[in-house]
Amino acid sequence: MKERRIGVFICHCGGNISDYVEVEKVRKEIENEPGVVLARTQMFSCSDAAQEEMISDIQNENLDGIVVASCSPKLHLHTFRAMSVRAGLNPYQYVQSNIREQCSWAHRDSKPFASDKAVRLVRAGIAKARLSAALTTMRVETTPKVLVVGAGVAGLSAALALSDIGLPVFVVEKAEEVGGWTRKWGDMFPHGNGSNLIGELHEKVKQREDITLFTQAELVEKNGSMGSFTVKVQVEDGSTVSLEVGAIIVATGFDTYQPEDGEFGHGHECVVTLPEVKELLAKDDGSLTVDGRRVENIAYIYCVGSRQPEDSAAESPNLYCSRYCCSAAVHTAIQVQDRNPGVHQFHLYRDMRTYGKNEILYEEASRKGSMFIRFEAEDPPEFVIDEGLPLVKVNGQLDEGEELEIPVDLVVLVTGMVPRQNSKLADVLKLPIGMDGFFNEIHPKLRPVETVIDGVFISGTCQGPKTLAESVASSLSAVSKSAGLVKKGYVDLEPYIAAIDSDRCLWCGECQAACPYGAIEKDTVNGKEVARIISSLCKGGGACVPVCPESAIEVKGYSDAEVGAIIDALVEEAVLAK
Amino acid sequence: MARVNSEFIDEIRQSDSFDASACMHCGQCTAICPMGLDLLPRRLFFYVGAGLEDKVIENRETIFSCLLCKLCEENCPRGVNIADDVRFLRNYINRKVHKLARN
Repeated sequence: MKERRIGVFICHCGGNISDYVEVEKVRKEIENEPGVVLARTQMFSCSDAAQEEMISDIQNENLDGIVVASCSPKLHLHTFRAMSVRAGLNPYQYVQSNIREQCSWAHRDSKPFASDKAVRLVRAGIAKARLSAALTTMRVETTPKVLVVGAGVAGLSAALALSDIGLPVFVVEKAEEVGGWTRKWGDMFPHGNGSNLIGELHEKVKQREDITLFTQAELVEKNGSMGSFTVKVQVEDGSTVSLEVGAIIVATGFDTYQPEDGEFGHGHECVVTLPEVKELLAKDDGSLTVDGRRVENIAYIYCVGSRQPEDSAAESPNLYCSRYCCSAAVHTAIQVQDRNPGVHQFHLYRDMRTYGKNEILYEEASRKGSMFIRFEAEDPPEFVIDEGLPLVKVNGQLDEGEELEIPVDLVVLVTGMVPRQNSKLADVLKLPIGMDGFFNEIHPKLRPVETVIDGVFISGTCQGPKTLAESVASSLSAVSKSAGLVKKGYVDLEPYIAAIDSDRCLWCGECQAACPYGAIEKDTVNGKEVARIISSLCKGGGACVPVCPESAIEVKGYSDAEVGAIIDALVEEAVLAK
Repeated sequence: MARVNSEFIDEIRQSDSFDASACMHCGQCTAICPMGLDLLPRRLFFYVGAGLEDKVIENRETIFSCLLCKLCEENCPRGVNIADDVRFLRNYINRKVHKLARN
């Protein structure tokens, strides 16, 4: 094999690296490694001047591989790939050695150790670069249509926004009517009426010719990949419709927490949940009545089904705050008080989280006569019947453990949001589910609506508790991500994917079972059954590699030869010492 | 055990001169009171808001010990008219307990 021509660039990163790693010593240690024709140190490899230097080195020295030893590839992978392309080097023949996050920053206590480790890491990078192949990305054409799953406020808003951009939309809704929870709830904080909002959105959707709405329908199958999916939707009459779309937005919403029997008196006729009260208030604009009786004394118990202690009786406690309930309950109390100024309302809360502008609602409720009483999580209120009189007992505000007893004719359990049981959909789309049971995004701050399944976006409360405004904001965010994807016309996919050696493969199916992305199928090559990688679906995760009994699968860029060479380079001294 | 008496709440609501609804029980008044009274505005307003008439009447000595110096009122972050509220409660106690005619 012709020896490679590798260039190595070691970065000081100001002092971030060079304060702990002797970069010049590292350079000297590795400059005679096989294949290395050039080794430099640089103050900031990411600077324009340093990049220009690398470009001229690549061109003048005819380099066919480079190692940049600097920070994490999470920071500058794309910087140096783009630089390689400008220099005429295949970007997959550039290797990053992370000597900052994984070396200088981690070993500030020992400079000699940091330098020694940096030498090994760079040597490993060189070993990989020597075996690196010129790879090319795969271009897939995108279908300029989008599927929206769920026709609540998030789904309907997304559909209209996509149609505004000029993209045809299919909306699939499981229920008979659109609108989800919002349709059932009248006035919602900070203002506006949920049912009217849904009415307006639905009316607009009906007028758009490029929006196709399926109700009583379900997504039952998804094939293809980012930019080019084929989905099957089971519609009202049981038949199946096949659709071509470039992106999928999931907006399937939440369920409300259903209290256990007896939880704060749940099951007793005068104990209801906040969503039930919202529905009562939406149906009738008079004073709040329950079973024909006008309600005069209400106790609200907050955080029911949210912020459950880790050691609570619940099987898998909901540790999260449901975010909307404090504001919704306070807003509801104002509504109740406005309709019946004489009503007495007691709010038993743990922490009042009427954040942002909703603080104004808290103040309004307080000034209108609502009484706020704080309790400790470990000493929650109790619902009891005392000589036929329903009472709520709460501790926390009086002296020496003295309990306050509130005679009530209605107890409102301020229940939070729980993930909707949607395992079928999660299965069809292979959506990742987080610890809390909601669908998971890739990054909570920087990639809040993207999932690990490229081209599938999540929005609204299927991702976690949100207010209505936040749901719409996230659905519009998913719209811009989907439109960005499908409007471009194509996507380039990473070439780091699995490859099958058809000569070795005996098709046992182990790899197919191991693949979480459904990227392996059975194929026939020259009359022999073998595995085939669906390259547009493969993420290069590598789950298939170790399960293959014939060692017939490798992930490009991470072949056994490359990984073996990296390990040998990392432990060279240890091996020599033996 | 103390039971909420909603009739007491209604009686207080009817008056225009008592309003502690803005009180958020922060305790600034308690920290600043030069008298170090047993019962301070924060607690007193809780009793009134929760309709605990018995507790208010039990503490009448303290309510009458207040200097009405308004140091608490000056420092109340929610602008509650504490002195006016205390005056109202004295008046209420005079009528209820001492059977004195109003003003």
